[in-house]
Amino acid sequence: MKAPRREALRIVGAISSTCAFPFAANELYAQHAGPHGESPAPPPARTQPEFFTAEEFALVSRMADLIIPATSTPGALAAGVPMYIDMVVSRNQEAQRLFRTSIAAFDLSCRARRGKPFLELDEAAQIEVLTPLCEAADAEAPSAQGRAGRKPEVALFKAVKSMTADGYYTSKAGLIDELGYSGNTVMAEFPVCTHEH
Amino acid sequence: MAADKVYDVVVVGAGASGGTLAAHLARAGVDVCVIEGGPAINTRTDFNTHALPYQFENRAIPTMKPGKPGFDSERSRGVGGKSLTWNAVAWRFSERDFKGRTYEGAGEDWPFHYADLAPYYSAIEREVGVCGNRDGLEDLPDGEFLPPVPMKCTDVAVMKGAAKLGVKVIHVRKATLSRPMKGRPACHFCGNCMAGCDVVAKYNSADVHLKPALKTGKLTIRPNAIVREVTVSNENRVTGVKYIDRESRREGEVRACVVVVSCACVQSVALLQMSKSRLYPDGLGNSSGHLGKHFIPHFTGGVQCFLGEFVGKTSVNDEGYLDHAYIPSFMHNRKRDYARSFGVQFNYQNRRAVGWARMVKGFGASYKQAVKERYPAFLTFAPYGEMLPGKSHVDLDPNVKDSYGLPRARRHVFYSENDIKIFKDMTKWSVEILKAAGADILAVGEEPRTNHELGGARMGADPKTSVVNQWCQSHDVKNLFVVDGAVFPSASEKNPTHTMMALAARTAERIAGELKRRSL
Ligand SMILES: Cc1cc2nc3c(=O)[nH]c(=O)nc-3n(C[C@H](O)[C@H](O)[C@H](O)COP(=O)(O)OP(=O)(O)OC[C@H]3O[C@@H](n4cnc5c(N)ncnc54)[C@H](O)[C@@H]3O)c2cc1C
Ligand code: SF4
Repeated sequence: MKAPRREALRIVGAISSTCAFPFAANELYAQHAGPHGESPAPPPARTQPEFFTAEEFALVSRMADLIIPATSTPGALAAGVPMYIDMVVSRNQEAQRLFRTSIAAFDLSCRARRGKPFLELDEAAQIEVLTPLCEAADAEAPSAQGRAGRKPEVALFKAVKSMTADGYYTSKAGLIDELGYSGNTVMAEFPVCTHEH
Repeated sequence: MAADKVYDVVVVGAGASGGTLAAHLARAGVDVCVIEGGPAINTRTDFNTHALPYQFENRAIPTMKPGKPGFDSERSRGVGGKSLTWNAVAWRFSERDFKGRTYEGAGEDWPFHYADLAPYYSAIEREVGVCGNRDGLEDLPDGEFLPPVPMKCTDVAVMKGAAKLGVKVIHVRKATLSRPMKGRPACHFCGNCMAGCDVVAKYNSADVHLKPALKTGKLTIRPNAIVREVTVSNENRVTGVKYIDRESRREGEVRACVVVVSCACVQSVALLQMSKSRLYPDGLGNSSGHLGKHFIPHFTGGVQCFLGEFVGKTSVNDEGYLDHAYIPSFMHNRKRDYARSFGVQFNYQNRRAVGWARMVKGFGASYKQAVKERYPAFLTFAPYGEMLPGKSHVDLDPNVKDSYGLPRARRHVFYSENDIKIFKDMTKWSVEILKAAGADILAVGEEPRTNHELGGARMGADPKTSVVNQWCQSHDVKNLFVVDGAVFPSASEKNPTHTMMALAARTAERIAGELKRRSL
């Protein structure tokens, strides 16, 4: 664990620090991006990406599909994750810079090493391309996000994976069908634990 | 409100502190006006209490329903303040918390003893309902509790692990009803407490203190009035407050014999700092120069983990009322190289919070399976440490104004060597307890983060080194009071709101008595 700087000065400013969770990672990417007071009804389905070009969108969609594929339950595509990622990125300038530069770098390195763009590779080859990126991303500390000097392809994978996980597990397909969330109900009594621990 | 009316007392801020204080004053027959920057909120209808993330494009559940105002700034949350969205954990401080300097030469002693506040803790418990178990601990005094709520299965697993290290896990104590009381229903464990409890099983000051007190005919609630100045006469008496109407932006004024500032710690300090006058050019009641100093927010760390025995189990509905258990401070009797201590709140995530999924390794079908298996086993652990008074302080930003044209309050936080030692040790203990409970650690918080805000207008016997006396009364101006976390001279490691409410009840009794004796 990195030792925090002693006597570090932090100006927290106007944001009240009474936060329910001590982890930045629990603040989903898009959490602060939307207008206050959106309607609690299913959001209108977007049909066109706002930020990504058609090629970029196809690439991000394929990566999301490979990260959370359809199995016996729906995957990222059925849960609308690519449009979610576009919505997040279209509202976040830092993410826009990251995607624009890293998609270009990813595409170049794919062509250089495999002789073809990513989308023209077969599934096994696509997984081969992503595997080392995932391993490098997994090896990073959670706080490494955005640190300079990382390979842009790793940064791209990590961003797509994080946003895919956020978007999928907060969707109805992910939260209810896949994870089996069953809270938000009325219970007469809270059950006493009768497990053998 | 008649413009020429002079109230006995005006209370600024209708949160846990101001709401409790105003209700107690009204019940004692005092003519009181509580002024709140935010709107009146209907807890039944205005919060997004039962919403789920996928109902919003950005997957973030806004606090208020569309078109319902509230919680738009720190100075305009709404009648009820943060008690509307708090998690209701309610502890009594112990004698050791009030007397840190006497016990271990660190922190500041409060100018009174536990025994002085104990009757007011009892009064609050009887009034609002606090559930919990009587554990008989020296450092966490028992109170007059409703029956405790059973622990979650995952809590029991942590309890068994902690026991191996000689660390005790107890039932949480919350200002939430485990039995119906005074027309309020018992909690039904929907897990939405921090989104605003729409049935008022959980305490909030608007529904539990203020609304019933309206029946006395002594209480006036003025919402949507953001106070910008407490006015002071040349005779060194406060005369009332000036406000900006949240909706019309028009200026207004309320006059009173006594002014109480209860704007939630940092905002209380800021309001006094904004109230500059000929007598008090450096902020009202600041002849000591200590206003804004000794800011002592709690700091937290955190560990996220998966409890081994729950990995791969079917997910069950264990939202409950968020956290059901607690690890009280256990370091006071152990050898350590720092002063003061920490306690641990845990398992208060709800199962809608899935931000951890991105940290699970891998991708593809195996990744999806790994997340699903870990879902019922996920647990957050958050130790809270006591910050000693040091260099941390609050001031007004000379450059940045809020949307009402008022200066923004700034928090300057410095961690001392003692703070960092606590942070490291509480993080180490958290990991050890979780490992003893068979947990697989996912992430460990690397830096402290501040939480409950305390200090900045501390109480003390010496007017040269403190801002208010033991009655929360300004040393400088007799008819000015500050009642909230700002007056805490030392923080303890325990969630502070029950202590604020007990302090509000004690101060209300004092003010009512002094008004009767005409000595204010
Ligand atoms: C998510 C969450 C969970 C929490 N959980 C717990 C817990 O479990 N246990 C615990 O002990 N504490 C908890 N807290 C902290 C607790 O809510 C506060 O300690 C408590 O509400 C403080 O009471 P207060 O009256 O001082 O301030 P508040 O309740 O914040 O009320 C202050 C009021 O003053 C108003 N105001 C501010 N400035 C002005 C102005 N200039 N003019 C007019 N009005 C003004 C604000 O709009 C606000 O309504 C939690 C807080 C949050 C946010
Ligand atoms: S869990 Fe209980 S206290 Fe929390 S919101 Fe639901 S009913 Fe209210």
